[in-house]
Amino acid sequence: MTDFKTIRIDEVSVGDALAALDIEVTTALVVGGAIATRDYEPVHHNKAAAQAAGLPDVFMNILTSQALMTRFATDWSGPEASVRSIDLQLGAPNLPGMVMTVTGEITAVDSKTGIVDIAINGENNIWGMHMHGTVQLKLPGED
Amino acid sequence: MTPEEHQLFEQKIYAYVGREVFSSQPAPDRINEAMIRHWAEAMGDKNPAYQDAEWAEQSMRGRLIGPPAMMYCWNQEGITAATKRSSDALTDMCDLFDQHGYSGVLGTNVKQEYFKEAGMGDQVFVDMIIDTISEQKATARGIGYFFESLATFSDQHGEKIGTQRFRVLKFIPAEGANSTVSSDEEALETPTRIASPRGHDNGWWWEAADEGRMLIQRCTACQTLRHPPRPMCGECQSMDWDSIESTMQGEVLSFTEIHHPKVPGYPSPLICAVIKMDEGTNFVSNLRGCEARDASIGMRVSGVMEQVDDKTMLPQFYPATQEA
Amino acid sequence: MVANVKDKAVIVGIGNTEFSKNSGVSELSLAVQAIKVALDDAGLKPSDIDGMATFTMDTNDEIEVARALGVGELSFFGRSHYGGGAATGTLHQATMAVATGMAETVVCFRALNGRSGHRFSGGVAGAITTADAIHWGWYTPFGLMTPASWVGMFTQRWMHITGVTKDALYEVAKTTRDYGANNPAAFFYGQTFDRTEYDAQRSICDPLQLFDCCQESDGGSAVIVTTPERARDLAQPGVAIRGVAQCAAKDQEQMTSFYREEFAGIPEMEFAATDVYAMSGMQAGDIDAAVIYDAFSPIVLWQLEAWGFCGFGESGDFVLDGALRPDGRLPCNTHGGQLSEAYIHGVNGIVEATKLVRGTSVNQPAKQIDHALVTSGVGIPTGGAILGKL
Repeated sequence: MTDFKTIRIDEVSVGDALAALDIEVTTALVVGGAIATRDYEPVHHNKAAAQAAGLPDVFMNILTSQALMTRFATDWSGPEASVRSIDLQLGAPNLPGMVMTVTGEITAVDSKTGIVDIAINGENNIWGMHMHGTVQLKLPGED
Repeated sequence: MTPEEHQLFEQKIYAYVGREVFSSQPAPDRINEAMIRHWAEAMGDKNPAYQDAEWAEQSMRGRLIGPPAMMYCWNQEGITAATKRSSDALTDMCDLFDQHGYSGVLGTNVKQEYFKEAGMGDQVFVDMIIDTISEQKATARGIGYFFESLATFSDQHGEKIGTQRFRVLKFIPAEGANSTVSSDEEALETPTRIASPRGHDNGWWWEAADEGRMLIQRCTACQTLRHPPRPMCGECQSMDWDSIESTMQGEVLSFTEIHHPKVPGYPSPLICAVIKMDEGTNFVSNLRGCEARDASIGMRVSGVMEQVDDKTMLPQFYPATQEA
Repeated sequence: MVANVKDKAVIVGIGNTEFSKNSGVSELSLAVQAIKVALDDAGLKPSDIDGMATFTMDTNDEIEVARALGVGELSFFGRSHYGGGAATGTLHQATMAVATGMAETVVCFRALNGRSGHRFSGGVAGAITTADAIHWGWYTPFGLMTPASWVGMFTQRWMHITGVTKDALYEVAKTTRDYGANNPAAFFYGQTFDRTEYDAQRSICDPLQLFDCCQESDGGSAVIVTTPERARDLAQPGVAIRGVAQCAAKDQEQMTSFYREEFAGIPEMEFAATDVYAMSGMQAGDIDAAVIYDAFSPIVLWQLEAWGFCGFGESGDFVLDGALRPDGRLPCNTHGGQLSEAYIHGVNGIVEATKLVRGTSVNQPAKQIDHALVTSGVGIPTGGAILGKL
């Protein structure tokens, strides 16, 4: 068993930045993510269908983006944190061959309830903003 | 569609607002480690709260939980959705969109709130309605409508696990969408800055820039410097000119940080500035090496010729103290 | 030399289409719809039109408009260059044609799918093959390529030199929105905002935030101009053009006059103001209300200075005294402007200025409006006109 540390609410301040994470968008991630979220919309696994929709290749489904955003938040917080909500907006599609850089910043801290808001952006190196939104976590150590 | 047909189409579409899609629909699989492992592997999520039973045992929760982000996955239809989805209000509405040319589909927003951390063996039940349909909108993907479904997820005890608001765009794919795609390589080539076209009056300047020199045009008759280059001297009307190489030292006359729109091929943050060169001409460039809040009008800057991307060589300016 | 045009051309009809984000029709359709509304307003038939004036940027060919609308012969058609700088440029063309007898009845129009079609906010990059491309090439490699970026650059310097703050930008945006919120034709009808909401909007290009920037709209606007003699027989009270000018100043560049000795100012508009005041024999003090081109909030301030309503650097205090409000010194952009009604490249502004003189604005001020100023876009060659009762 590996030891996992979870950040406590009193260690967090508004304005704290999360370490950036680069995610390589591969066909395996796009298709594998779609199937793992049980999303069989053809545009996520069938290149011809994606091209008919106006894009050069299969593109990431929103539930994968959502999973990656949540993962980014809990990678930072550690496993004792509970995810309270996620509010995500999609921008430009993520396609195989791109690299998405995910960044985050703490925008609210409530030491009474242990709740923090993290504003998270995912920008890909080709088309720019892929996703932005807020993940709300409840951290241990509230007053 | 004629205006009348379009009106009829909208009547049919808007009749779906408020319609029930699912009522206490049970997920075919209970929350289980195998599907979670498959999901976590795809997402690269190593959170032990989902998969490491030994860790979970001694954790504050004392048990494994299902990933909250999977809440909706348990009830997704699966492979039949790739060909013909089962009929429900949502599928029927999407079919109606498809039949009228709005065949494109794009999830644009998802908002989930979680009330309870469901665990292994729990079964997820979903209630869903079509909550809103927008008026017709012009979007970057094409003309279309946004609709929102609203779902509530419960467990086998009837306790609420969470809610979800999902926003989807149904749109008419841009005409010729297929034909615009030539090759993967071209489509995904790393974008570069948008270059200036080169003509008789400016090509020489950009060619010198390619070679790493920032020039300023000079009238050989009256010695007046001018920028941007032009074929005639506005002071003495001479058409004879040469150029001098700039020292690339100057002062900021104004600057602006470009927040929106973000354009592929350009860095972010991006500051543009008008710089008064010590030679006397003004020049528009980028201000680098400082944040906008630390920039000021009147600050001294020092420039270098820089390869800013695979194709572009540009003068770039930095606060002078950093250079010294 | 002062042009001899005072009261020789009269606005007799005005028309707007519906403004939207997606018209669903062609720009030609918008143009002829707007013109038809203006003709009906005047009590004229399409065959009464013998001249046309529009923007070089307008995609509607005069002869296409003529055929679609059922206009017969044309003896005049002229276009003005430089985007929104052409708004009152159309009146300038019409006035010259009517005053000289080149045409009797000229329609000025502009129609665009500015949101569902080409969007100006997308910038000047792209497949541009015009001579303008070389000009824009000095800016696109650096990322300075949208109207907001150019205006942001001017604004930053102008605020630095004058000490005017964002309080003044907010006041412009706020008063304009309040007018728009009361105009059923406006995009922001029923939606006002406060300082908290204004400050909360995203930055576009410093110091401009979202509500400092105009709409992008689909729609058309048209104005019919004819002789005073003809005007007296028509349906509406005539609104005479007292003076109109279209000017470029020294070292003018298209949106990037950054090479002047001092670029915190708009000398081309000062030139136009001097010209119009001379033609009309009027001064700033004679103007009761205004429609001032508002692609961005700060450009309203610069124009107040250029037209002499206050001195250089004093426009901040001028507007913060409430000058632009319904009971202020100079009720301004009473339709909600392009910030809140619609962006029809300023021609909806000519429609509104005409209404102010007629006394029919949706936000008609309580005081008597004998003379209204209407202006064109800035940062480019530009102009303005003073309208008054025939």
